[in-house]
Amino acid sequence: MTPKAPIIDWAGLSPLVALLGGAVIVLLVGLLRPRFVREVIVPLLALATFATAAGLGIWQWGEQISLISGALRLDQLAIALMWIICATGAAAVLLSWRAVAPREAAHGEYYALLLTSAAGMLVLVAAQNLVTLFAGLELLSIPLYVLCATEMRRETSLESGLKYLIIGSVGSATFVYGLAFLYGATGSTDFAGIDRALNSSSLVSDPLLLTGIALSVVGLGFKASIAPFHQWTPDVYEGAPTPITAFMAVATKAAAFGAFLRLFDGALLNAQADWGPALAALAAITIVVGNVGALGQTSLKRLMAWSSVAQAGYLLAGVVVATKLGLQATVFYLAVYLFMNIAAFAVIIIRERQTPLGDDIAAFAGLGTTAPLPAAVMTVAMLSLAGIPATAGFIGKFYVIEAAIDGNYAWLGIVIVIGSMLSLAYYLRVVAAMWMLEAPEAPVSTVTGRPALAGGDLDAPAPGAGIEVYAVAAVFGVATLFFGIVPSPLFDLAVKVGSSLTSLF
Amino acid sequence: MNIGWYLAVSTLIFSIGAAGVLTRRNPLVILLCLELMLNAANVALIAFARMHGNGEGQIFAIVVMVVAACEVCIGLGVVVALYRRRLPIDVDELRELQG
Repeated sequence: MTPKAPIIDWAGLSPLVALLGGAVIVLLVGLLRPRFVREVIVPLLALATFATAAGLGIWQWGEQISLISGALRLDQLAIALMWIICATGAAAVLLSWRAVAPREAAHGEYYALLLTSAAGMLVLVAAQNLVTLFAGLELLSIPLYVLCATEMRRETSLESGLKYLIIGSVGSATFVYGLAFLYGATGSTDFAGIDRALNSSSLVSDPLLLTGIALSVVGLGFKASIAPFHQWTPDVYEGAPTPITAFMAVATKAAAFGAFLRLFDGALLNAQADWGPALAALAAITIVVGNVGALGQTSLKRLMAWSSVAQAGYLLAGVVVATKLGLQATVFYLAVYLFMNIAAFAVIIIRERQTPLGDDIAAFAGLGTTAPLPAAVMTVAMLSLAGIPATAGFIGKFYVIEAAIDGNYAWLGIVIVIGSMLSLAYYLRVVAAMWMLEAPEAPVSTVTGRPALAGGDLDAPAPGAGIEVYAVAAVFGVATLFFGIVPSPLFDLAVKVGSSLTSLF
Repeated sequence: MNIGWYLAVSTLIFSIGAAGVLTRRNPLVILLCLELMLNAANVALIAFARMHGNGEGQIFAIVVMVVAACEVCIGLGVVVALYRRRLPIDVDELRELQG
């Protein structure tokens, strides 16, 4: 008897195929000799791949289908998160256009790894099976370990790569051990099967299941940098090349929270009494730890890392409540988080390439008078991250707090408000540095733009902050403002996403 | 069959691996300990697959093995890059990033 091959719905699978096919093409084209091909065609191909995947998502919008015998599921949640991931990936390609990292790592490899990582994220947010969930997590993580270490001449880049590798692998190992226990308790790796097993029996207090839930929370917590599993975040964010930091900050978070939604609000929904209070406590701890940790930072990349820890806490509140409103709030907040974070990182990259101070907050002193446009974008991003009205961050936070109160976690809503108040202390410090401090006396615009490099024998011209970085900053800054004033398009999107996990109410 | 003994072995292996990651300082030994943690999961998966009488756990274990190999490849690559830069092969000495 020959086993029957599963029927594959290629139309539904097409975004994933596009990303992986694009990665292979980029890798092969990157082998060609001419420098023009490697430095211009390869990033353009990577951009085209992200655009194709996003376009195929538009084509498949509205479908709710299982792919490959129920290993993956294409629905609005998967497509919406894929758009966030593709937008982040495209922004990362533009931000690294003239950066050092792709030149050191050979352009083809760099962009192919970026695309592979995005494909892993897509698998993760579409997973309907413990095996695909784990495979997606690793497909996203392993290219990122390499990407963190791509600036091989800079010691901090290698150090951040090694740290991320070790800590990420501990997280993965814990996660897979937890998944093994979930399988042991329920007898199925399929999400639908797990749901059925939890529904029909009194498994809810089974020690195997509880161990499995605890270990998988820890594993996903490492990926989403939820306290107390966040210690790697500042070091890795600071050491990695800045475009990769931006990609990690937004896309990894979107993918990790997609996995949280699939696993906890999907497969383990019936055990919500078990994991709800635990995740709520973690969310509260994360908000406090992230905001307090950011207070004393002078490096902006570290500051953004701590702020991303705090934002993970806000996002987790949307998962904890396990309602349709919570799902909508999480997706809405992830979209908003994309706009404000990429805008901030684009401005950080502009300053990093213009001054020898790198990402230190001193690089921003007096920026409001010397370069008002980047300063304005940074101001909008910082105010939005803090949740000031008329920015998208305010609407996002409002939505999450509403979901928390609606889901009987009013105290968590109060913790979010207190966390936002704390966060003003460090976000406003950046704004104050830009508009209230004097610009440093000696003009520092003549530096090469890669001060941290010891050996400068790459004969290419020093990277300036090109037009593409300004464009990314402007587009995402305007989006942050636009969706703060007219949030209804994003609301509609979030409401449609809310219908994709049918077991929620 | 009594699943308890298999789980005891797997928990023991996982604990040895986790303790090794926490206490050892050489990245190569840490990578070995990570392998132990992943293989502990494999033991548990295969025991559970036998208990439930379906093959899903065994397929999962094969996927985990592939992933473990990939992780070690990347880890060794980074260690070699560190060695070429004459950086200390010791995770406690790598402290450029902190604060």
